[in-house]
Amino acid sequence: MAGHAVVEHDYHLIPPSPWPFLSGIAALTWGLGMVAFFAGLVERTGENPMMEWFFASGLDTVKASALGKGSEVSGGWIILLIGCLFAVYVMYGWWRDVARESEAGDHTPVVDIGLRYGMIMFIMQEAMFFVGWFWMFFELGFFHKLRAGWNPDVLENASEYATSMAPGVTSVDAFNLPLINTLILLLSGTTVTWAHHALIHGDRKGAKWGLFLTVTLGILFTVFQGIEYVELFHARGEGHEAWIGANAYGSAFFMATGFHGFHVLIGTIFLAVCWLRMLKGGLKSEKHFGLEAAAWYWHFVDVVWLFLFAFVYIVFAISG
Amino acid sequence: MRLSRPNFKSFIAGSAAALALGGAAFANKPTPGGWWLQEAASPVMEELTRVHNIVFVIICVILLVVTVLMAYIMIRFREKANPVPSKTTHHVGLEVVWTIVPVLILLAMVGPSMRLLYMQDRLPETEMTIKAIGNTWNWEYEYVDYENVDSFVANPLDKAEAKSKGVPYLLATDNALVVPIGTKIKVLVTSVNNMHSWAMPAFGVKMDAVPGLVNETWFEATKEGTFYGQCSEICGALHYKMPIEIEVVSKAEFARWVANDGAFATRNASIENLPVTRIAAPK
Amino acid sequence: MVAIPDTGYSSYDENDEKPSFFARWFYSTNHKDIGTLYLIFGIFSGLIGGFLSFMMRMELATPGIDVFNSEHQYLVFASMHGLIMIFFMVMPALIGGFGNWFVPIMIGAPDMAFPRMNNLSFWLLPTALICLLISFVVPGAAEGDGFGGGWVMYPPLSTTGSPGPAFDFIIIGLLAAGFSSIFGAINFITTILNMRAPGMTLHKMPLFAWSVLVTAFLLLLALPVLAAALFMLFTDRIEGGTGFFDPSRGGDPQMFQHLFWFFGHPEVYIMILPAFGIVSHVISTFSKKPIFGYLGMAYAMVAIGVVGFVVWAHHMYTVGMDVNVKAYFLAATLVIAVPTGVKIFSWLATMWGGSIRYTIPMQWAIAFIFLFVVGGVTGVMLANAGVDTYLHDTYYVVAHFHYVLSMGAVFGIFCGFYYWFGKMFGVMYNKYLAAAHFWLFFIGVNVIFFPQHFLGMNGMPRRYIDYPEEFELWNQVSSFGALITLAGVFFFFLMLLEALVLNRKRVGDNYWGEGATTLEWTLSSPPPYHQFNTLPRIEGSDEH
Ligand code: HEA
Ligand code: HEA
Ligand code: CUA
Ligand SMILES: [Cu+2]
Repeated sequence: MAGHAVVEHDYHLIPPSPWPFLSGIAALTWGLGMVAFFAGLVERTGENPMMEWFFASGLDTVKASALGKGSEVSGGWIILLIGCLFAVYVMYGWWRDVARESEAGDHTPVVDIGLRYGMIMFIMQEAMFFVGWFWMFFELGFFHKLRAGWNPDVLENASEYATSMAPGVTSVDAFNLPLINTLILLLSGTTVTWAHHALIHGDRKGAKWGLFLTVTLGILFTVFQGIEYVELFHARGEGHEAWIGANAYGSAFFMATGFHGFHVLIGTIFLAVCWLRMLKGGLKSEKHFGLEAAAWYWHFVDVVWLFLFAFVYIVFAISG
Repeated sequence: MRLSRPNFKSFIAGSAAALALGGAAFANKPTPGGWWLQEAASPVMEELTRVHNIVFVIICVILLVVTVLMAYIMIRFREKANPVPSKTTHHVGLEVVWTIVPVLILLAMVGPSMRLLYMQDRLPETEMTIKAIGNTWNWEYEYVDYENVDSFVANPLDKAEAKSKGVPYLLATDNALVVPIGTKIKVLVTSVNNMHSWAMPAFGVKMDAVPGLVNETWFEATKEGTFYGQCSEICGALHYKMPIEIEVVSKAEFARWVANDGAFATRNASIENLPVTRIAAPK
Repeated sequence: MVAIPDTGYSSYDENDEKPSFFARWFYSTNHKDIGTLYLIFGIFSGLIGGFLSFMMRMELATPGIDVFNSEHQYLVFASMHGLIMIFFMVMPALIGGFGNWFVPIMIGAPDMAFPRMNNLSFWLLPTALICLLISFVVPGAAEGDGFGGGWVMYPPLSTTGSPGPAFDFIIIGLLAAGFSSIFGAINFITTILNMRAPGMTLHKMPLFAWSVLVTAFLLLLALPVLAAALFMLFTDRIEGGTGFFDPSRGGDPQMFQHLFWFFGHPEVYIMILPAFGIVSHVISTFSKKPIFGYLGMAYAMVAIGVVGFVVWAHHMYTVGMDVNVKAYFLAATLVIAVPTGVKIFSWLATMWGGSIRYTIPMQWAIAFIFLFVVGGVTGVMLANAGVDTYLHDTYYVVAHFHYVLSMGAVFGIFCGFYYWFGKMFGVMYNKYLAAAHFWLFFIGVNVIFFPQHFLGMNGMPRRYIDYPEEFELWNQVSSFGALITLAGVFFFFLMLLEALVLNRKRVGDNYWGEGATTLEWTLSSPPPYHQFNTLPRIEGSDEH
């Protein structure tokens, strides 16, 4: 906020805001939680109870409760939970401010363009993030035979490692749930576009419906993905552990699809927020970048899925 | 064994070998306070040294040109000497030149560099294969071709031991890898836990030992003597303490070493009397 | 040492109302304040990183283990030294610090595009540094506390090799630092593309802004890949977790190296490009000449950035890659020498015919050019895959990258620091203390790192706490150099105290006079809390 000076530009100068600083603290808490929750690797010697409480792997307690053994409370749980809630609170506060500023008309045309640049750049970096996972996947998928050639005695069943969940378990049937999910996402892509155009033409009712449908489809996708995971998890019934730790393929499969699922979740929430804002009368037909950004993001998530479907599910399932 | 009647050939050969070894004994480990590449003891290392020297000259010339130019500018165009700055900010000719010239220099550099690269990589018909297995923190060696020579672990000597034996600390091991001279030896390098790197500067060899992979490299020793290298990929606390020691002996000596299930007839097969044994070597 | 003059300066109280202390420094949304925070953070980290390296040098002064109480601890120091210097000293200082301070001003913008996100970028860094510092004191490997796997964090040493939570903290810390840089990159790109003053076309934009633009794109495209790789390490380390790098489950340890260096090599240009930008301005200012071949300079940086993405495996010549792949990376790596040469020669051409004043920043700039060429040409030596089999993981590499980092990047930082000192803090530094700093530092770092070429050629491997006595001589010289450098750093802080505490009379708007032509010199020193309430108008054609 320039004080007494007359401001003769349309840029958006923001008064001091607590959110970034609080984000830093939230991130720290979350980070400590992550380590404590996953890395309970300190062997219990009883020397340092505080540290051991902190590092008593939250993961172990989850396993314990999953296997019906009583789960003692560990540091990991609590700290990670606090971190996540803290982060959610900060995000809420931050984006609420943004929405208000937008309503207050701070988002002049030039600022609006800036927001677009920002969103495009953000999606670019998301894309590079997935490049990392796909690179890993292709390396494992295409060059496993080469590596096997290097060292047969270590990788005698390398091709199986690299193309199926676990020895014996044939990889997921691409044309079952995955195909349905593909259709779901493609459909949701159309509904979100419908919502956008409806809003542009001032048909708020249609826009709300479009968004509602999109969100529902998003949730449906997540549910099906969950079902598929659980099924795979039970493939260990045949004595094999077809799970994230089974082998390279399992790892790549679950981390890639998992991170995609996580992004679907984010996108769904993003769209849901837009929906709620519309119900509250927000998002004008001439100015609604929130919705456009959500739509862009949703399409991005959609494209990533198409790649996953084409390669992770079809190509490797066949080549395996 | 029967000594043939003294002839000058063998005498010369012997003294020559002794001289060569005298040289080798100096080349086989880092030189005290040394500031140049270790002396080459394999064809690859000779080529490597050559290429290094070519590139070295090139970069020195470049550095010299830049330095001299800068010195001149700094003096000629200091404020006192040149109160009114010129305003020229363009000279297409110049810009083209200093784009093209580096390109040409690099092209000149690429030739030898590539030849060396392919020479290093493409191992010629192998005459012998050795497996080096990195372990935290020592090297295990297998003589793939001789099942009577069983694999052994080469541990570093601690300070006191090294001193008493008069061998260099952090370079010498308790069991040297024994190889024949003038033989193309393929080395399979792998690891059982952390990554390591099997390196022998005098041979121009360095190959990472990666768990789950078997990497290939090769060398051909051209000098007899004991050669030292050190683990060259961080592998944990004792990374500095898993040296590589190679003892290069005559083919005959090596044959005897193998026949002896991987031990020298007289463990102190001293290098001095090698020429003699060479004369007596059965064909 | 926050000694930003508060009031009593014309262009302040007239048109500024500044928030209360806490709001100003913790809730800040002002690019200049955030820039200052970054600089303070960079100096702090530089102290830590410098301390770590000093301890290493003391250990290496003589054969034998006498400073550290365990080999592991030495490796911890070396690894943390690398990580802290790169992620918490150079990047915050060059990009966060000078980038924040001067990119908006140079392009004639009142602030960054996303002032709040700008502050988020900063506050993620203390979070990250805290995580790294915690890792010093929590169990790392069987051999002791902290992570000792090198700054490159290769598995399996960083997975099964260091089971303790120490490395998990480092992963989290680097993720935080990474997101900080990604948000920063988004911010800079948007600012530069969207907020240039009327009439300022890209081809009229000052070179420092150009360098930050290219750097931001490198960050944006390289860091997410590192994030993915770090996630893989994190899940690989969980028992029952993934097996990306576990050969017994079909994984491939070398894949991490590809992912890491795909980030890692652009990263090294991320650290040098902003320094290029700063040096360009300083050279042109004190030669009283516009930069020579402006467009060539700008697009050389673009070229370096682009090629920088396709040379990563020159760090992996000895991992057993196919020979043809090596041949490709050899050639591609050599290519980078060409655009870099264009920059070097254009700087010389800028000085040519100029009327050169040897002020402190100019001394740093000239030293930068000279020493960067030394580091650059040794880089070209290493690029020759064949020769690199000998030099890889020897001290020759250490010498190479300290010439480009501890003398390239760091000299760039000090160059900009002295160039803009008066502009940022309103007061001038003491010439003599600054000169002492320069000369001690210049001599010191050369004495440290030049002998390391000899060590490398003589075959001394990296990351060794103890070495055969053949290497003693040059190690002693090198460690002696560390003492000189320490004295230099001492004078740097003396200079800071003297200038900021005595707080001499304020300097004028353009205290460098003729030659300083960019927009920051049209503003007061320090600039008003919010500059350009009426945007400047840039006249003239693209002809630069
Ligand atoms: C600021 C950081 C920075 C910069 C700018 C560079 C620049 C370069 N680097 Fe460096 N490098 C590092 C930081 C940097 N490097 C680091 C940190 C490591 C080690 C990582 C680790 O393992 O821990 C490393 C390691 C490293 C290696 C791997 C060595 C090994 O581990 O075995 C190689 C190999 O190719 C290499 C090459 C180069 C090249 C060719 C350049 C080129 O960009 C240099 C170009 C510049 C010039 C050439 C000089 C000026 C040009 C002229 C005067 C024109 C005329 C010149 C010619 C025609 C030759 N570097
Ligand atoms: C920017 C990066 C950077 C910088 C500046 C330095 C600076 C120094 N480094 Fe560093 N070093 C690395 C990056 C850097 N190093 C990396 C990446 C490695 C590899 C790690 C690994 O093997 O994994 C390494 C490894 C390394 C080794 C090899 C360890 C080994 O392999 O066993 C050694 C040994 O001598 C060493 C010494 C030094 C010394 C004496 C300095 C001295 O120059 C230090 C002097 C002090 C300073 C330069 C700080 C001054 C700066 C400020 C006070 C901040 C100023 C800020 C503003 C003005 C805003 N370093
Ligand atoms: Cu083994 Cu380093
Ligand atoms: Cu590189």
